[in-house]
Amino acid sequence: MSYFFQIVVSGIVVGSIYALAALGLVLIYKSSRVANFAHGQIIASGAFITYALTVWAAIPIYISFFISLIITFFLAWSVERIFLRRLIGEPIISVIMVTIGLASIIDGLIYLTPFGTKNFSFPQFLPSEPIAIAGVSISWTQLAGVIITTILIASFSWFFKKSTIGISMRAVSDDQFASMSVGISVPSVFGLAWATAGLSAAAAGGIIGNITGLNFDTLHAFGIVVFPVVILGGLDSILGAVVAGIIMGLIQQFAGGYLDGNWGLNGTGEVLPYIILLIILLIKPHGLFGIHEIERV
Amino acid sequence: MSVNRWLATGNFFTAYQEEQRTFLTNLDRLIFSIFLLILFTWPIFFPLNRTYMLVVDNILVAVIAVLGLNLVTGFAGLISIGHAAFVGVGAYTIASFSRVLGDSHILLTHFWLILILIGGLFGAIMGAIVGLPSLRLKHLYLAIATLSFQMIFEWAIKFLTFFNQGQTISVGRVMWFTGEIGRENHYLFWYYVTLTLIILLGFGIRNLFKTRYGRALVAVRDNDRAADAMGMHPGLTKVYAFALSGFLAGVAGAVHAFLYKGAGIESFTLHHSITYLAMAIVGGLGTLNGSFWGPTAIQILNLQVEKFSEYASNYLPSAMNLATALRPLTFGLVIVLFLMFEPRGIANWWRIAKSYTKTWPFRY
Repeated sequence: MSYFFQIVVSGIVVGSIYALAALGLVLIYKSSRVANFAHGQIIASGAFITYALTVWAAIPIYISFFISLIITFFLAWSVERIFLRRLIGEPIISVIMVTIGLASIIDGLIYLTPFGTKNFSFPQFLPSEPIAIAGVSISWTQLAGVIITTILIASFSWFFKKSTIGISMRAVSDDQFASMSVGISVPSVFGLAWATAGLSAAAAGGIIGNITGLNFDTLHAFGIVVFPVVILGGLDSILGAVVAGIIMGLIQQFAGGYLDGNWGLNGTGEVLPYIILLIILLIKPHGLFGIHEIERV
Repeated sequence: MSVNRWLATGNFFTAYQEEQRTFLTNLDRLIFSIFLLILFTWPIFFPLNRTYMLVVDNILVAVIAVLGLNLVTGFAGLISIGHAAFVGVGAYTIASFSRVLGDSHILLTHFWLILILIGGLFGAIMGAIVGLPSLRLKHLYLAIATLSFQMIFEWAIKFLTFFNQGQTISVGRVMWFTGEIGRENHYLFWYYVTLTLIILLGFGIRNLFKTRYGRALVAVRDNDRAADAMGMHPGLTKVYAFALSGFLAGVAGAVHAFLYKGAGIESFTLHHSITYLAMAIVGGLGTLNGSFWGPTAIQILNLQVEKFSEYASNYLPSAMNLATALRPLTFGLVIVLFLMFEPRGIANWWRIAKSYTKTWPFRY
C-alpha cells in the first residue's frame, strides 16, 4: 500500500511542476492567442541562469532564484518585443511558426554553452534526509518545490483576479478592440504576458533543476509535455492548468509504476499524455475548464 | 486571332481553362524541358563522389516530403509539426517488410516500386487518422495533434521490440533490369528513381489543383465558412489534405529507407519535422516551386554550416561540438527571418525574376 501512496506523492510533485510550467503557456495563450512552442527552452534557460548565478557567481540560492526570475522576465519580454511585436495582425500560422523558430534559436544558443551537452546538479542546500511518514517518503527539495509552486500559482491567480494589470490582461484576452477603446495598450499587455510567462517558466526551471538535476533534454522536453496538460485543462484556464497538471503527473507516475515492465511495455509514462491529448482533442477539445468557444468547422 | 505562342508579353486569357495551363507559353515549356534534360544528364558529364551524391539524393527525398508538407501547410493552411513522423511511417513500412521477410526477400529486391507505393499508402492512412481531429478543430489544435503524433511515433519506435527499439533495421539492395544495384551505382540509381518520382508527383499535384479537389483545399484555407457555403465539407477536406500529405511523406520515407539501406529513429525526430517546416517556409508556403527551392537551400546551408563548424573547431576547445549548436541556430534564424521579412519565401524571388524577364528588354 505504501507503494501506491509513494506513487501518489511523486505524482503530485511532478504534477505541481507541470502546473507551474503550463501556467506560462496559459498566460501567453490567454492574452495573445499564441501557443508558445519555445516554452521548454525558456524553462531551460531559467534553470541554467539560476545555476550559473548560484554556482559560478556564488550567490546564495534564495537570492539567485529571484534574480533569475527577474532576468528571465526581461528576457521573455524582449523576445516578445523583438520577434513577436512585428507579427501582430499576421496570420496565426506564421506566429506559431515563429515560436517554433525561436525554440530552435534558443536551442542553438544553449548548445553553445556547456549546459547543452553536460549534466549539472545544484548543490544541496536543504537536508538530504527525506521525510518519511508511514513508509512514504518525500525529499525536502520536492516539498520545497511543491510549496513554492503553490505560492506562485496562488499569487498568479490573485494577480489575474484583482490587480489592474491582471484585469487589463483579461480584458485583452476577451476582446482586443473593446480593451483598446478603454485605453489599454494591447501590445504592452502582450509583452507583459510574455514576461510573466517567462517568470513562471524560470521558477519552474529552477525547481525542476533542483529536483532532477540539470539536463537540457529533460528540461526542454517540458515545453512539449505541457501541451497535453494545457489541452486537458483548457487552453485559457489557470485553474485548468493546475488540475490538469496534477492529473497528468499522477497518470504518468501510475503508468510508470504499474504498466512499465508488464506486458512488454516500457516508457508508458512518456507516451500516455499524448494519447490522452489526441483523445481529448477528439471528444472534448476545450478541455476540462476551457471556455467553449471553439469554432466548429 | 493568331496568338504568339512563344513570347507572350501579357496575359490575354479568354477562358478560365487557359489561365489554368501549366505552361503559359511554349517558351516556358521549352525552358522546362531543357531544365529536365539537364537534371537527367548532368550526372553523366559531372560524376560526383559518393558523399556529394548522397547530399543531392537527400535534397530530392526532402523535396518529396516538403511537397507533402506544402500541400497540408501551404495549400490547406494546417500546420503539421509531425511531418518527419509521417516520413518515418513510410520508412518503417519498408523496414517492417524487411524485418518480417528478411532483408533480401524477392518483394524487396524486385518489387520495390510497389513497396514504395505501399509505404505511401500507410503514410496516407496515418495521415487520415491524425487528421481526424480536424473534423472539429482548427489551426492550433491541429498543430498540437500532429505534435502528439510525432511523440507517439517516436515512443513506438523507441520502445517496441518489433521496431528494434530505434536501432537501424537494414533493408537490402534492389534489382534493376541490368542486375543488382551495386555500391558504386547505388546513389546514382536512387537519384534517377527519386527524380522520376518527383516529376510524376509534381505534375500530379499541379494537375490536382486544376480539379475541384485541389481547389477545395485552397478554398478551405482561405475561408472555411465560405467553402462550407459553397457545398464543400471543410472537415473532410482537411482530413483528405492530411491523407494526401501523408502519402507523399510515406513515399519520401520509403525512398529514404531504400536509399540508406535501412531505417532508424534518428532520421525521424521532432528536429527533422522542424527542418521540413523550415524548408517549406524558406521555399515559400503555398507555391509548388517553393517545394524545390526550400530543401535545396536548407540542405546547402546545412552543408555549409557543417563545413564551417569543422573549420572553426580547429580553433576551439575540442569538447565543444559546434555543429550541434549551429544547426538549430541557423534553422531557427532562417525560419524567423524569412517569416518576418519574406513570408512568401524564395518562390517570391523566383516570381519577381520571372516577371522581370518577361518583358525584357522593354520595361515598364
